[in-house]
Amino acid sequence: MKSVSRRQFLTYSALSFAGSTLPGQALYAFTGKNQHSAPVDVSGKIFKNDAPDQLWKWSREADYYMTFPGDVVMCVICPHTCVLYKGDRSICRSRVNINGKLYTLTYGNPCSVNTDPIEKKPLFHFKPASRALSIATTGCNFRCLNCQNWQISQVKPENVRFYDLFPNQVIETALEKKAASIAYTYSEATTFYEYMIDTAMLAKQKGISNLWISNGYINPEPLSALCEVLDAANVNLKSFNNETYQKLNGGQLDPVLNTFKTLHEKGVHFEMTTLVVPGYVDDPKMIKEMCLWIVKNLGPNHPLHFLRFFPQYKLDRLPPTPVSVLTNFRKIAMDTGIRYVYVGNVPGHEGNHTYCHQCGKLLIERKGYNIPTYNIEKNKCRFCESTIPGKWI
Amino acid sequence: MKKTINLIIDRQIRKVVIATGIASVTTQLLTIREFLAQLSGNEFVIALILFNWLFIGGLGTFLARPLGKNASVRKLYWLSICLVILAPIQLIAIREIYDLIFIHGSSIGFYPTFAYTLFLITPYALLVGFFLPYSLIVIRDQIANYPGTRIYIFDSIGDISGGILFSFILVYCTTPLQAIFIAHLPLLVALYSLYASAYNVKSTAVIGTILGLTALVAAILVEIPTLTPRNGELAYYQETPYGRIQIIKDQEQYTLIQNGRPIFSSHDFTTAEEAVHYPLSQIDSVRHVLMISAENRMMSEVKKYHPKTIDYVEIDPAITDIEFRFGLLEKFPEMNVIHQDGRQYIENTEKQYDAIIINLPEPDTFQINRFFTDRFFFIARQHLTQGGVLSFSVKGFDNYISDNELQKISSIYRTTRQVFKHVLLIPGSKIFFLCSDDPLETDIPGLLENKNIPTAYISGYYYGNITSERISRLNQQLITTGPINSDFSPHLVQILLDEWFSIFSTSPILFLLILSVINIVYLFCISKEEFVLYTTGCFTMGSEILVIFAFQIFFGYIYLQIGLIITVFLAGILPGAVYGEYLRQRGKQILLFTDIAMIILMLVFIGAITFFAYQLSGYAFLLFGFAVSAVCGCQFPVALYLQGGDEPAAVKMFSADLIGAAYGTLITSILFIPFAGILWSAAGLILLKIISLIILNTKK
Repeated sequence: MKSVSRRQFLTYSALSFAGSTLPGQALYAFTGKNQHSAPVDVSGKIFKNDAPDQLWKWSREADYYMTFPGDVVMCVICPHTCVLYKGDRSICRSRVNINGKLYTLTYGNPCSVNTDPIEKKPLFHFKPASRALSIATTGCNFRCLNCQNWQISQVKPENVRFYDLFPNQVIETALEKKAASIAYTYSEATTFYEYMIDTAMLAKQKGISNLWISNGYINPEPLSALCEVLDAANVNLKSFNNETYQKLNGGQLDPVLNTFKTLHEKGVHFEMTTLVVPGYVDDPKMIKEMCLWIVKNLGPNHPLHFLRFFPQYKLDRLPPTPVSVLTNFRKIAMDTGIRYVYVGNVPGHEGNHTYCHQCGKLLIERKGYNIPTYNIEKNKCRFCESTIPGKWI
Repeated sequence: MKKTINLIIDRQIRKVVIATGIASVTTQLLTIREFLAQLSGNEFVIALILFNWLFIGGLGTFLARPLGKNASVRKLYWLSICLVILAPIQLIAIREIYDLIFIHGSSIGFYPTFAYTLFLITPYALLVGFFLPYSLIVIRDQIANYPGTRIYIFDSIGDISGGILFSFILVYCTTPLQAIFIAHLPLLVALYSLYASAYNVKSTAVIGTILGLTALVAAILVEIPTLTPRNGELAYYQETPYGRIQIIKDQEQYTLIQNGRPIFSSHDFTTAEEAVHYPLSQIDSVRHVLMISAENRMMSEVKKYHPKTIDYVEIDPAITDIEFRFGLLEKFPEMNVIHQDGRQYIENTEKQYDAIIINLPEPDTFQINRFFTDRFFFIARQHLTQGGVLSFSVKGFDNYISDNELQKISSIYRTTRQVFKHVLLIPGSKIFFLCSDDPLETDIPGLLENKNIPTAYISGYYYGNITSERISRLNQQLITTGPINSDFSPHLVQILLDEWFSIFSTSPILFLLILSVINIVYLFCISKEEFVLYTTGCFTMGSEILVIFAFQIFFGYIYLQIGLIITVFLAGILPGAVYGEYLRQRGKQILLFTDIAMIILMLVFIGAITFFAYQLSGYAFLLFGFAVSAVCGCQFPVALYLQGGDEPAAVKMFSADLIGAAYGTLITSILFIPFAGILWSAAGLILLKIISLIILNTKK
């Protein structure tokens, strides 16, 4: 019987310990807790041969598209520029190629209609305490993992219950509800562009404001046309990192930045919203870079909202954003020169209120959607008479 | 001399088989827990993990025949050492690979869940499945005509020991990788003895043992780092019988994570205000409040009503400990903390409450579904004072209610309306159900103002977020006709599973179709004895799921007793197999008799549930489980004998049993119970055994 010496035992032990722990250590080092996982792009795909056989009552030929030989069309409403063969459906699920023409399937068939406080959009510098008739059809050109309206943004128009509400009826409803504005919101308004712009033109004639609540993923030409009828917008700036845009939203950063530039050039009042997702959008350096870009390209007057993230939809394994992170981001943004920075989804936070950029006094105190204190008169601070950017009552 | 050596090897292999049983059952239980900390914990996912394990195990067993031709003790030894090394790697891989493949912080749908669990389970489960028939082949090399049943019996002894070791000892006092270490030590010792006895070469035995030991020890060293989140620090971590609890500190915020899912964080008061003030604002005088589970700040909100008592029921004592330790829940003198299953508490208490506030996750498991059934609502109502309110919530929607969500809330609404005169639904990202026999008000801020109760969220946001327009629209959309959710027919679980599939825009139909095709092909290829064992595997697992499901309805989720039921199901196999070995020469007659016995047992179960339901003793369930598994265990030696008793026959029998168990798990959990209810599920299992009887009586 062979036996093992003490020296052999120790040698074997040392060698095997090193041998068996190395792969584990390598795996652990590779997965590294501070590293982000392998790059992933959650962008949507074109739905091949998914168009309905026949158009329905809520169809209309699209405003922006190009045609190619062989009945091929390219939708140019958003930067995805979906190339659709006959019978194909776009990434946003709302546009189809029927016999070489591009049609929208979301015209006059909103699936969600509500009257909301304008602060809910959020729009803090536009007709405060007014009400907005909010409408949405299905469809979105993004695939945000934390979408709070996934029930309508990630489905086809045929698969929901909807209202029969053509543009003129939307105006009637807004008047009936005494809404000061109409918000194109919830899902992605760009995907029901034709319905939105036709409704907006009628609304403008009736003195009703038009609000575009969007991810900003739109091409400059349709956006310029839209700006002609827009009164205000809230556009998400989901991150200042292209990889995060691809991974969490299925889009690209640059087109969104171009949207901000266009809105700014066209003089549309707009506010920006950044949802601070832990682990993705919570790097102070990135936020500082983002704010510097805003100040340089858009100036200091466009309000910026930092929203607290809560686990939602598919992104439900992350904790909420710590409030101090939002407080810190607000400070960073204000230090870089943005004058109006808000903190959302945190009731009672100092960042819910509006302070004069000049004298620092409280202009608007907000308790939820209620406004107990209001110190703006004729667009100016009641204390120092500085002009406050926005459209005030 | 050779005979003596052979007997020694036989004895050593027996030890290895028992030790492998201990190690594999512990690994299986830990693997399920580990997956549930990474994936959605609904009933489909639980069934899927078990299915994959059993199916791959069956495949491993099947492969022992073609791959086990030149079997030797040496190969058996190294295969087992691989098993020891694979166990901790599997657990660490489950934790670490998720973020490499999927997006950090996100949940995944059905097909990725299936692929992920299958991919990570396969190496270990395949090897475990392979091991048992392979060890029989090795023994038969030494001792011809060695009875295959003996291996089956020793494996059962190991399984029972592993189940007891983990469920009653390790789960209370070790972390997962510590448990893996302890459960694999007997195997290492047995393997060392086996190799040393067979070859008289201690050096190789030592090398293998050291390799195994170091893998187990090294794994313990990476336990905490692999549990630490990317964001924030791991402030606290504990494994309890009910799952994994972590407290993550990020900046000033503490988040309670249970089984990988954030439950609540400090600085959240929206949910607390909604859950507490919606029901309590309706009540004139709040004296006694019952809370089943609670979140951050809820107690402070209840305190605003100056109640005499707040009874807080939480099943897991570890949860309350850390809630108080990290300031996630406030402690008041009026508060009584009760560690008990919530439903069981309500059933047994004699106390009357002005409000019962339930704060539980979605009813997507049989365990949680018990709080959303007609009987539960009936019992809750009996414990409410005149004008008292029962309140609970489910996931809601912001601006549009999907068809699945509408089905879900309509089902709950219909069920509550069976019991309460007034049911009010308040929409939002959570839909709150307020149930009472007195009329209910929708103007919550108005009610709170009358009571002079200040709030931060409701006073500012209620009128904007929850408009009367939204409330009335939701209530108008409810589907008032359709099935109600009952204890025995958990219709809601099925709706929740549909909802899960709709979130990921996927359907299990393709998966189920492929499985059915594989199943049909397999059934056409096997002998009738294998078919009997296949249906028996199906029947045993189906019965086990039914018994656990029924037990929870009657007695609550009592960890120790459910552990006991699982152990009894394992334990019954042993005397059954011994008795079967004794009777095996009566062959087909025994198979017929035991099949009939199973049918009779299931009929008794149906009768007992139908006529005695809530009067049944817990021991009845244990007795039933033992009887079913004993009868099932009896069939294996008989079927093996009828097939000739050689290694190919043993391989086929082991495979049939495991594959049947895999299918039994899946169909009972995701098809039978949610769609047909408990009684029809039992009837389905009876039908399966009737088919088995018919097949057994065919000529070939």
